[in-house]
Amino acid sequence: MRFVEDRRHLPRRLAALRAGVIVVFGVLATCFWYFQVVQHQKFQEMAQNNHLRTLALRAPRGTLFDRNGRVLVENRDAFNISLVREQTHDLDGTLAALARITGIAREEFDAILARHANEPRYRPVLLVGDASLAQVSAVLARRLELPDLLVQQVPTRHYPTDEMAAHLFGYVGEITEQQLARQDHGGFGPGAIIGQSGVEQIYNAELMGVDGARRVVVNSVGREIEILGERPPAEGARLRLTIDADLQRAVENGFRATGYWGAAAVLDPRTGEILSLVSLPAYDPNRFAAGIDRATWTRLNTDGLRPLQNRAIQGRYSPGSTFKIVVATAALEEGIVTPDHRIFCGGGATFYGRYFKCHLAGGHGSLDMRHAIEKSCNVYFYTLGNMLGVDRIHKWAQLLGLADKTGIDLPHEAESLVPSTEWKRRRTGEKWYAGETISVAIGQGQVSVTPLALATMISTVANGGTRQVPHLVQAIDDGHGWQPVTPPAPLAVTSMQPEHVAALHDGLWLAVNGAGTAGRARLPGYDVAGKTGTAQVISNQGRDRARGSGTSRDLRDHGWFVFFAPRDHPQIAGAIFAEHSEHGYLAAPIARHVIDTYFAKLEGRPLPDYPAPKAAPAGPLPADPDVVAIVDPTDRGTGEAARPAVRRAAAARE
Amino acid sequence: MFERRLHRHIDWLLLAAVLLLAGIGLVMIYSTTYDVMQGRVGAEFYKQLYAALLGVAALAVCLAIDYRTLAEYSLVVFVAIALLLLYVLVFGVVAGGARRWINLGPMNLQPSEFAKVALALVVATFFAENRRGAGNWPDLATAAVLLVVLAGLIAKQPDLGTAVTLVPIFLGIAFVAGMRLKVVAAILALAIVAAPAAWMFALKDYQKSRIETFLDPEKDARGAGYQQIQARVTVGSGGVTGKGFLQGTQGQYKFLPVAHNDFVYSVLAEEHGFVGVLVTLGLYLLVILRSLDAARMAKDRLGAFLVVGLISGFTFQVVYNITMSAGLAPVKGLPLPLLSYGGSSIMATLASFGLVLNVRMRRFTN
Repeated sequence: MRFVEDRRHLPRRLAALRAGVIVVFGVLATCFWYFQVVQHQKFQEMAQNNHLRTLALRAPRGTLFDRNGRVLVENRDAFNISLVREQTHDLDGTLAALARITGIAREEFDAILARHANEPRYRPVLLVGDASLAQVSAVLARRLELPDLLVQQVPTRHYPTDEMAAHLFGYVGEITEQQLARQDHGGFGPGAIIGQSGVEQIYNAELMGVDGARRVVVNSVGREIEILGERPPAEGARLRLTIDADLQRAVENGFRATGYWGAAAVLDPRTGEILSLVSLPAYDPNRFAAGIDRATWTRLNTDGLRPLQNRAIQGRYSPGSTFKIVVATAALEEGIVTPDHRIFCGGGATFYGRYFKCHLAGGHGSLDMRHAIEKSCNVYFYTLGNMLGVDRIHKWAQLLGLADKTGIDLPHEAESLVPSTEWKRRRTGEKWYAGETISVAIGQGQVSVTPLALATMISTVANGGTRQVPHLVQAIDDGHGWQPVTPPAPLAVTSMQPEHVAALHDGLWLAVNGAGTAGRARLPGYDVAGKTGTAQVISNQGRDRARGSGTSRDLRDHGWFVFFAPRDHPQIAGAIFAEHSEHGYLAAPIARHVIDTYFAKLEGRPLPDYPAPKAAPAGPLPADPDVVAIVDPTDRGTGEAARPAVRRAAAARE
Repeated sequence: MFERRLHRHIDWLLLAAVLLLAGIGLVMIYSTTYDVMQGRVGAEFYKQLYAALLGVAALAVCLAIDYRTLAEYSLVVFVAIALLLLYVLVFGVVAGGARRWINLGPMNLQPSEFAKVALALVVATFFAENRRGAGNWPDLATAAVLLVVLAGLIAKQPDLGTAVTLVPIFLGIAFVAGMRLKVVAAILALAIVAAPAAWMFALKDYQKSRIETFLDPEKDARGAGYQQIQARVTVGSGGVTGKGFLQGTQGQYKFLPVAHNDFVYSVLAEEHGFVGVLVTLGLYLLVILRSLDAARMAKDRLGAFLVVGLISGFTFQVVYNITMSAGLAPVKGLPLPLLSYGGSSIMATLASFGLVLNVRMRRFTN
């Protein structure tokens, strides 16, 4: 039967199928054995890399306090929006959406990503720092569309909102490529936020703290499912600065009220502790705290007023008449003259064939040193300078702290310059001409100093010869309580003759309290001593030439006032530099206000308000809205109108 | 129809193995659809549970009716399925770019799953009634027309994966029906020749990219190659004993997409390790070998052919899916019978085992 014949195939072919199936299943089992047993370790690691993440927890930077324990700089919580490229499916779409949400140009994101192109793809790249709540909620609402955007809450620096002491504090910012390449930043990785200026930079290592980490389980869209472990971040050390917030504000208010830009350094002459360090115009360090945008950065850098420069330690200016204090000290201590040595001023004198004028056309007549300082007589100091020679002037400038760097704990301090024969030979290869010494004796010529150096000088004169190193930190708390910071050792200790010191102090007291130029600093009962000075911006001949050329540069002179108080046992000393104020006595009221505030605080009186503005606002007003206008625009008209009258009064005095 | 004491001849071992696998499938669907964020199981689990219960009912029905009676209506069944597939092409529910489902209110029906049973039935009947067997070309060609009609309609949806599973059903029956080895060799040769042609003309871009990706998964590690790499990581990280129920990180945290569907076996390997793999592979092997036994013992050619057809499609799908779940085959939307999520699939599969049991149970009846 065919029927049966045909079934012959069936058992054989079924057996073949059976064998085939067994072989195939054997192969499958072998494959799984290979993956699950032999290669298990490798796949185990890959699976863990998939779902385990270590997230950095940024340590809050240490808080900065003033000398009275008042908080100056602290931290607030900000939201950062970052991109996790590992999670990106559509980079264009994500960046376009983020640009729409934030209003930031797409190109900025591209530039940021290009900078981080070589980093591992799982590491978040910060795109928007300190995002607004609206931006954060817009991103979170589109979480499913934009799984690669990460919103993190991070502690961010918070500075006083009125730009107070901006240069002193400095600012923080993301570590730059160059800093990373230099490898001298204590091994900080890409994305680290480090101090880029001021105290933030110098004390970065202390302030940084140690970042923590969190080990988390994430799902395939990067969402955190579970926290496996956490090492909390360690907050950076807290610093107690030597700054007194009230004095800092008093100085800044003084500048605002008088309407000048400028700089000031106020310190305790006994210790070198800086009570106030001001530079104006300032900037808002908060803008840097979470990554500054390029437009603001460019504006700050190209602003003609140079708001980023810390004038107090980086601006160098001719000290003018304040330099006479150095010449007087040198002449006394070198034994060239006694305090009672008299010199006749007839309105000018001839040295080396050239006639040098005094500022008082009719001359001061015969003067001793106290009165020469009081009246700021040029002829007296021409004569002393000529007797001393430039090298002895340089030597005393150094001993008093006016030459070289002061050694303050701030970055990028400029070196103050007081010339010497050695300096001129090194610089130009020429010998020094004795005639050049005459200009140096009244603080002109090559002399060029920073406001802080001048403050150090007056402080050394005030304390009788100890050149303290100005410094900013009193104590540090790294989590184990406040530990005092050892102040730096004085750079020079000169035992000046007490009668010399008394004579200098008397002369400076007379300048304020007698018939001197600095009556506006007078504060009855507190024996303020001080000296005004004028720093020429341009020579008289140059000014005549510039007058016709219609230059936009402000050619008006700068005013100085150096001071200490009280005359006997000084507790406060400093230098005020008022840009383009033309006359030193116009800077004096600022000093008066600071001294008043200092003693009011000491005696528990209510702090004084700055008296109504007496002087005109100076300088072109900032066009930049980011630089706070220090003068109320409504005052401008009256200020301009008042200026000629002020100038006439000034001419009558000096 | 259902004679007394017939139930004594039911292959309880096979039935137990099938139901055990379906139970394991439910456990795996519970695990793969479990929402770690919400801490509760997905709706898919309950859908699958109800579908499995319906499937058991379908199994009972297919067991109760004599398969010879069913064979008499095989052409009717075939035409009905073909019409359903046509209906799907026009009115079907679209999901994931394909039109595969008929909306039945609470559930969607996927007729292509039932087309497998229909094809096995109609081809087995054809060869069984054909006295010459599958020896000659004209008969083979006639039977192949049946295959092409159904496979073509399914491929049109498009659902190439399911269409391809129809081929082993046809070939399996033809093979045991006495197809000459020369012809077997010729078909293999034709496949080799046809592959480049198919590549050039028949395959769509996404299909090509899947195959390209399979050959070099790293090329597109975020896109198409992702699933393949993750599948291997999922399996390999399971180790010998696995990470435990609901403890698989790859599946639970969704690194492996559609884990409850195409990649359910990867998650099984992750959570239950090599031990779980050996147990399930063993169960599948048992099911297949017991079914082949049923074919061997069948009273007539019709029964043998029917069983071989059904089990050929089943075996092909099991082997392909498990290979793919270890990242060793191109990713293809082909569910793992009894384990993967899919209501139509579980119902059709259980129904077909009803037929297998049917053939064996009735080996002594006339």
